[in-house]
Amino acid sequence: MKKTIPIFITLFLVFFIACTGDQECRKNRYVNLQIGFYHSTYNSTKDAYVDASFSVDSLTLQGIKTAETGEETLVDSILYNNQKSVSKLVLPLDKSSEQSKYLVVFNDVSDTITVFHTNYDYYLSLECGCIKTFSIDTVLTTNNFIDSVKIINHDVINVDAEHIKIYN
Amino acid sequence: MRSILRYIISFVLLLNVSNVGAQEKKTEEKETKPALLNGLTVQVDIASLAYNLISNGGTYSSEASVQADLKHKYFPIVEVGFGGADKVTADNIGFKTNGLFGRVGVDLNLLKQKEGAKPTNNLFLAGVRLGFTSFLYDISNVTISDNYWGTTEVLNYEKQSATKIWYEIVAGVKVEVIKNIYMGWTIRTKNLLNKNAEGEVSPWYVPGFGVNTSSTWGFSYSIGYRF
Repeated sequence: MKKTIPIFITLFLVFFIACTGDQECRKNRYVNLQIGFYHSTYNSTKDAYVDASFSVDSLTLQGIKTAETGEETLVDSILYNNQKSVSKLVLPLDKSSEQSKYLVVFNDVSDTITVFHTNYDYYLSLECGCIKTFSIDTVLTTNNFIDSVKIINHDVINVDAEHIKIYN
Repeated sequence: MRSILRYIISFVLLLNVSNVGAQEKKTEEKETKPALLNGLTVQVDIASLAYNLISNGGTYSSEASVQADLKHKYFPIVEVGFGGADKVTADNIGFKTNGLFGRVGVDLNLLKQKEGAKPTNNLFLAGVRLGFTSFLYDISNVTISDNYWGTTEVLNYEKQSATKIWYEIVAGVKVEVIKNIYMGWTIRTKNLLNKNAEGEVSPWYVPGFGVNTSSTWGFSYSIGYRF
């Protein structure tokens, strides 16, 4: 009897303390814009144009921050620095602006990509906090290397998916 | 000490009761119909009070209940309480709430009373509850930072209101330790009926329910007086 009570109390405490630990975030917090590179080629057996993925030999990419005055400055850090064999871009969109602009150098040819987006606060949990998700409105590019773009998925959320196709 | 001993023994006895019942079928047939209402028990939950003392998880809760005894078989119950949370996560996100909650439900005594015998006041109960709470909460200092573009935004959600409904499945034991003094415990699973949509701001803690997951469990240890 004298032993039962401490055992009971210990079990009771263990039972509770075991369940009050701080939980950590187990949700994906990464929200990135994904862009793939494609050639559109004519497939005679299917009698249709099909997309074939390709990689750029060397690619350099940097963000361009547009100030309220309209002045554009390059973001100091470089996202892709002369990287080899790039077939896909994974880019952070600007959370504090509704426009994200990038300077991309394909081999030696420069283009800018401007993505216009609407931003949303997306609350995950107390442990994970809040993330920004985006809805792509428009994509504008210069056409030195890039032939055309196609938005295949407007919603940029914390799910790994391709959003934009760039055709060369 | 003696009362605790009695309580434990009575619980052990409960486990054998079904066998005992089978053997004593042929006792006297004198019908003593139990009255409709056999008193009201007012109970205070000690487990939640003890938990408040040892908890460093930032939550607190207290509750009391009134349970009626109908025919020694049905035990309708109303539970009311006050719970809250004041928590700061590892990422310095703050959460604060408090509110009243209520639950209504009924327990069923699963022990077969010996026919004609004086009804015992030791009960093995199983039942259901419907819980309800409506409260305000604050979530503060939610930081959204952007490493690449170099921006930081701090969000504060103040005075968010929430209404939550859940059901519970309860099992427990209740024993009369001294005349009219009851002790008992319950264990329960709790299941939220209205969940928040993904991406919506939602309360971390729901008074009376606990940490806001779709289902959780609860434990109570109560002491009560029967009027």
